[in-house]
Amino acid sequence: MDVSFALTGKGYVLVAADTTAARSIVKMKGDEDKIKSLGPHLLMAYSGEPGDTVNFAEYIERNIRLYQIRNLYPLRPPSAASWIRRSLADSLRSRSPYSVNLLLGGYDTSTYTPHLYWIDYLGTMATVPFAAHGYGSYFALSLLDRYHDPEAPLEEGLATLKRCIDEVSKRLVVAPGKYKVKVVDKDGIREVEL
Amino acid sequence: MNTFIDRFSTTSAASQVRKLKEQEEDEFSDAAWGSEAGFGNLAKGIPSFSVPSVHDPTAFLRLHTDDHADPNCRIKIQHGTTTLAFRFQGGVIVAVDSRATAGSYIASGTVKKVIEINPYLLGTMAGGAADCQYWETYLGIQCRLHELRNRERISVAAASKYLSNLVYSYKGMGLSMGTMICGWDKTGPAVYYVDSDGTRLKGDLFSVGSGSTFAYGVLDQGYHWDLTDEEAQELGRRSIYAAGHRDAFSGNTCNLYHVKEDGWNFIGNFDISKMHYEGPGNVPGAPGTGYGYDVRVLGRNSSNPPPPEAAPAVAAHA
Amino acid sequence: MARRYDSRTTIFSPEGRLYQIEYAMEAISHAGTVLGVLAKDGVVLAAEKKVTGKLLDMSGAREGGYGGSGEKIFLLNSNVISGVAGIAADANSLVNYARTAAQRHLFLYNEDIPVEMLTQRLCDLKQGYTQFGGLRPFGVSLLYAGYDPHYAFQLYHSDPSGNYSGWKATCIGANNGTAQSLLKQEYKDEIDVEEAVGLVLRVMSKTMDSTTLGSEKLEFATLTLDPATKQPKAKIYKPSEIDALLKKHDLGKKDEDTEMKTT
Repeated sequence: MDVSFALTGKGYVLVAADTTAARSIVKMKGDEDKIKSLGPHLLMAYSGEPGDTVNFAEYIERNIRLYQIRNLYPLRPPSAASWIRRSLADSLRSRSPYSVNLLLGGYDTSTYTPHLYWIDYLGTMATVPFAAHGYGSYFALSLLDRYHDPEAPLEEGLATLKRCIDEVSKRLVVAPGKYKVKVVDKDGIREVEL
Repeated sequence: MNTFIDRFSTTSAASQVRKLKEQEEDEFSDAAWGSEAGFGNLAKGIPSFSVPSVHDPTAFLRLHTDDHADPNCRIKIQHGTTTLAFRFQGGVIVAVDSRATAGSYIASGTVKKVIEINPYLLGTMAGGAADCQYWETYLGIQCRLHELRNRERISVAAASKYLSNLVYSYKGMGLSMGTMICGWDKTGPAVYYVDSDGTRLKGDLFSVGSGSTFAYGVLDQGYHWDLTDEEAQELGRRSIYAAGHRDAFSGNTCNLYHVKEDGWNFIGNFDISKMHYEGPGNVPGAPGTGYGYDVRVLGRNSSNPPPPEAAPAVAAHA
Repeated sequence: MARRYDSRTTIFSPEGRLYQIEYAMEAISHAGTVLGVLAKDGVVLAAEKKVTGKLLDMSGAREGGYGGSGEKIFLLNSNVISGVAGIAADANSLVNYARTAAQRHLFLYNEDIPVEMLTQRLCDLKQGYTQFGGLRPFGVSLLYAGYDPHYAFQLYHSDPSGNYSGWKATCIGANNGTAQSLLKQEYKDEIDVEEAVGLVLRVMSKTMDSTTLGSEKLEFATLTLDPATKQPKAKIYKPSEIDALLKKHDLGKKDEDTEMKTT
């Protein structure tokens, strides 16, 4: 039931995820942060099987941190995405695979380019200008086909993101209430209010 | 059709017979027929059935039937569709796609999913094509009878209620319909959603079918009551395009209707892939370019390198 | 005395020395010179070939796969070339290891391995042989010339102990002392590839034992950015190209026939 969105704009990536942690029909928590910072310029929104999600995200987080400690520079977004995809693909072929879907947003400081990757639990990876996971994608993707602009300034990007969230709230029966929104750009990561 | 199904079913009595026959036939090798020696037509003359040229025809056809889920319903009915209708200041816009699917197979790309019940009433088609076609034509007959008996046109509310009562009486018997009854009556423009569960809803804006979520995404965000005629037609067209693009079970073309006070008008038929690359053509409300995301954002890019004079020189590393 | 601490790489001498490693370094200081210069828009590598002879069949080198005779200068990955000094057989083994490491990185991260990381991979291996594993360390020093988006162009050197360091210009092998002092005098920051090529050839011609430079004694390579793709582009010169380059810089062999005519 998780819903997550992400979109790129001029020099930034916006990543949004709902904040509900549910078990069966019960809402256990209403302010869960499902977007991890994997480095100074890398964000990962994760959704999927409860338990797997946080465990996998922490595994990724710590290995990416280890790379940064060892090499003094962080993995660039394309390489981080490739490595994370590989981890999921290897996991899929193990005895207990992770069922986790990811949106990976990063800003490459060496090429001044924002990157967004859509990754699913099967290890499918796609480089995309905008992305969504969960039921929200059925409503948001056509909307983003129509309204997304790769050169939109942040205010416009946030407005487009708000359209997605509003549309899901309007049409999805099991729509989540609250979302956390983070942005990554040349200055790093910060949380934004919609 | 039953004979056809029997021919490829693995469970029926006919198939048991067929299997036995096949076993018998297998015992005769090709060599047993000897040389055809000028009698080659003899073998071809034996009545035969054309089967899909795939490794296992039975398994192939099984893909297109629902018999593993429900033995009583052997042919997959058309589920994939996108239809929409909305009310606005200038009347009602009705837009639909034209794809018919049977399982993963595109059975047709030129289906008419808007049923012209009479000059003031339109019905849309989602779910079972035959059910919709039959019962909405039937509804047309009843509407005409209403007109003759009562010397006035039937209201959209009454027509839709007639249909919903009718399908409700068949509830549980396998009807599959999701339709919007649209028209203009004394009360102005009207849209009703009616489905085979017996649900009937009055509203301003509906979309039905597997592609409806994608259509809603564009429709909801572009919709408001004060849309001009051109804007409204463009919104309907573009919403069907969005669904045709994103939903595998919808596509091919878009049929667009506009209902006004003096009845419905057929605006046109628009090729979805043409809309993607070139746009809908020279029609009112058209943007002049393709609707496709890649077409729309061609040449735009998200990089934000610092202006050249401010760019720091690449640091030499020693 | 030394004998007692010689036979194993894992044993320190009472003075705290690891003799085998020192001997390995000694072996390298007799090997053909390898010289590298870092420029702002590329890296230049040159190497002296020691094994020459009239009967040595060099026909393969003239056509050779990616250029060069493959004796001293190797392409490790599309973004890294290396020059080796020392025991050729050991070097081949290390080059193979480096190429595998680079491919493993590509598999895992879908990017060219950063230059320093590749250097580290080899140094980890070399260090390992100073503690356990084989009977002796690798008798090889390497220069790595490479490019990555993190630090752009880079030049590294690694020795048999597993130590490595980054340089603006450096030299390994025979006469490396002379070469290094020459480089120290002549190197200036902001040097470009064009000038670096000249510098390398000049220093090589002064350091090498032979009086004249020629393609049979020299290997040469540059690593620059392709102007069109902005991707690193390694060029290992073919013998004919080296001769042409030497001629251009007026360092080539004098053609005896023309000399005869002029006199």
